[in-house]
Amino acid sequence: MTDGPARVPGQRAAAIWGVLATVLVVVSSIGVFLVAPEDADQGIIQRIFYFHVAIAIASLVAFAVACVAGILQLRTRDERWDDVGEASIRIGLLFSVLVVITGSIWAKASWGTWWVWTDPRLVTYLIVVLIYAAYFVLRSSVEDDRRMRYSAIYAIAGFASVPLSFYSVRVAESFVHPVVFTSSGANMPGSMLWWFVVSQAAMICLFVALLELDLLGRRSERALRRLAMRLESA
Amino acid sequence: MRRRQLMALVRKDLRLELRTRETIVAMVLFAIVMLVILQFGFGTRDDDLTRFVGGLMWVTLAFTAVLGVGRSYVAEREQHVLDGLLASPVPRTVMLGAKAIAIFLYMTAVEVVVIPLVGVFFVKGSYWDAIGWIAIAALLANACIALSGTLFSGLALFTRARDLILPVLFLPALVPVVVAGAGATHAVVGGSPDMSEWRGYCLFLLAYAILFALVSIATYDAVFDD
Amino acid sequence: MVTARGLVHAYGERRAVDGVDLALAPGERVALAGANGAGKSTLLRLVATLLRAQSGTLEVLGEEIADGARAARAGIGYLAHDPLVYLDLTARQNLELYGDLYGIDDRDARIDDLLDHVGLLGRSEDTVRTFSRGMAQRLALARMLLHRPRLLLLDEPHASLDARGAALLDGELEAARADGRAAIIVTHEVERVARVADRLVVMRAGRVVCDESTDGRDPMAVRRRYEEVA
Repeated sequence: MTDGPARVPGQRAAAIWGVLATVLVVVSSIGVFLVAPEDADQGIIQRIFYFHVAIAIASLVAFAVACVAGILQLRTRDERWDDVGEASIRIGLLFSVLVVITGSIWAKASWGTWWVWTDPRLVTYLIVVLIYAAYFVLRSSVEDDRRMRYSAIYAIAGFASVPLSFYSVRVAESFVHPVVFTSSGANMPGSMLWWFVVSQAAMICLFVALLELDLLGRRSERALRRLAMRLESA
Repeated sequence: MRRRQLMALVRKDLRLELRTRETIVAMVLFAIVMLVILQFGFGTRDDDLTRFVGGLMWVTLAFTAVLGVGRSYVAEREQHVLDGLLASPVPRTVMLGAKAIAIFLYMTAVEVVVIPLVGVFFVKGSYWDAIGWIAIAALLANACIALSGTLFSGLALFTRARDLILPVLFLPALVPVVVAGAGATHAVVGGSPDMSEWRGYCLFLLAYAILFALVSIATYDAVFDD
Repeated sequence: MVTARGLVHAYGERRAVDGVDLALAPGERVALAGANGAGKSTLLRLVATLLRAQSGTLEVLGEEIADGARAARAGIGYLAHDPLVYLDLTARQNLELYGDLYGIDDRDARIDDLLDHVGLLGRSEDTVRTFSRGMAQRLALARMLLHRPRLLLLDEPHASLDARGAALLDGELEAARADGRAAIIVTHEVERVARVADRLVVMRAGRVVCDESTDGRDPMAVRRRYEEVA
């Protein structure tokens, strides 16, 4: 046995990512609310856009990670990939809910209504939330080895559904409402783009930090259970 | 060999359906009831619902699809035959293909009733000259429904409360199919058809079917790999 | 024909099969016995490629199961508690389906032979739903033999077969020895199976606790030996 407090692998990584995420979130918050120029048309409400879009993209990263973890889980049958998949989807789902909420606030401020079916981003994220909420319904209704396999398959199929939902809503949108909202995109002034990049980095670091933390928790739990079992048998 | 296995499995499903008539009759009746309920749900006495015809048709077809897909492994599960298939040298992708073909045929049978009925019930203007275009979009949508439905029904097969799990898994994935199916329908119904719009939706349905075919082929081995 | 080393299959935390070694030579017929929950059916399902081992290696009919399950399946005949046939198809339609799944060349002639063999030729156009339990299990026997398997895996065959089916099965197991086919027979009725088996394997709590030849031994002596170890 080693001396001193027991270490679970990944503690250092979780700490580093946590610090990095905290710093970036603070910096980007200051930048977005105090430094970045105010949008001429939309005023202060436009500032929510930095987080709205950054969280949206970070949630897609999370779902992509879950999809890759699913593929690796099916290949290796290693339960650690199941952990990565579940944790990623949990965080991605939380982010997607935030996207819908921030989008709804934005809609209220811009168009005076909490919900607009003509805003493709809002609508697709609602579908994404539904797709990944179903992941947890599936998990809770099946056990053990099957749970890991089914979850992995669903994470892969779900990630295939995401671009389809995005695209279908946008195809419909382009036919019904030829005018597309472009309050985002490449026609941002330079300083706005800079702060957007910072908030994007902050959100992705936040995802990685939350993921590492979640996995750390699971590893500690397992280590604890092993220890308990060893004590029992001793 | 694979072809022979595929044909044998499809023939088996059709023979069972012909003998028991459990699935298709229920699906058709369910679809008609859906149309009636939707009409009353609108709360309008308007005879011409051309504006909503895509929604009426595709919401009905989506829910009917859930019903049909939910039946797809019932004989195997209730009569405990699945082990017999799994112990035989059938590639899982052949099982996938056979189930998908069966669902495709069931959906087509339902649409043979539903698509004309929608015209009779809800459209007073031009409809019948567009029915061929609607049928093509419907066949593409059936491929989408069959491929994703087979995958999700496999996942739901051994879960608790599977009758509840299947719609929760399957319906969100069907949203794009409903969007595109309804879009394609609206593009051609009610005079002045917009063929480029119709083509756009059909291409989208094709892309959906191809993507889900790839995902299903890649993962179906794992569905039954206990 | 079967080589298993350190085979493990767990349902969650519970290890139903916990490190089993088993080797089966051509012509050998093993009676696999043990109390309920000892892991014998799970072991049989592992060999039948219906379950995947979480660790250990398994070779069936010269194929490593981890990568060649499908090739092995073609040579396995599996008789389960359930007859594994569709109740709403006729006896013949069921056998036609399996004949196609296994890719049998002389399908129709083979089906006629087997239906005759199990005494169902007169009922071949009736749906299985109209069959008695014993008849359905005799059809299952025909289904198992259809593709001329070299390895027979039987899960409590005598529990559901009628007298006629049991006699057919015993004949088949007799013949297996001469043809170099192997068989594993999961059973409670050790003395019943001891007449046609030449080896007794007993499992307890997922492990093999006894593996010995019973060739030429009196069935009741085998029974007593089983009760000693189980």
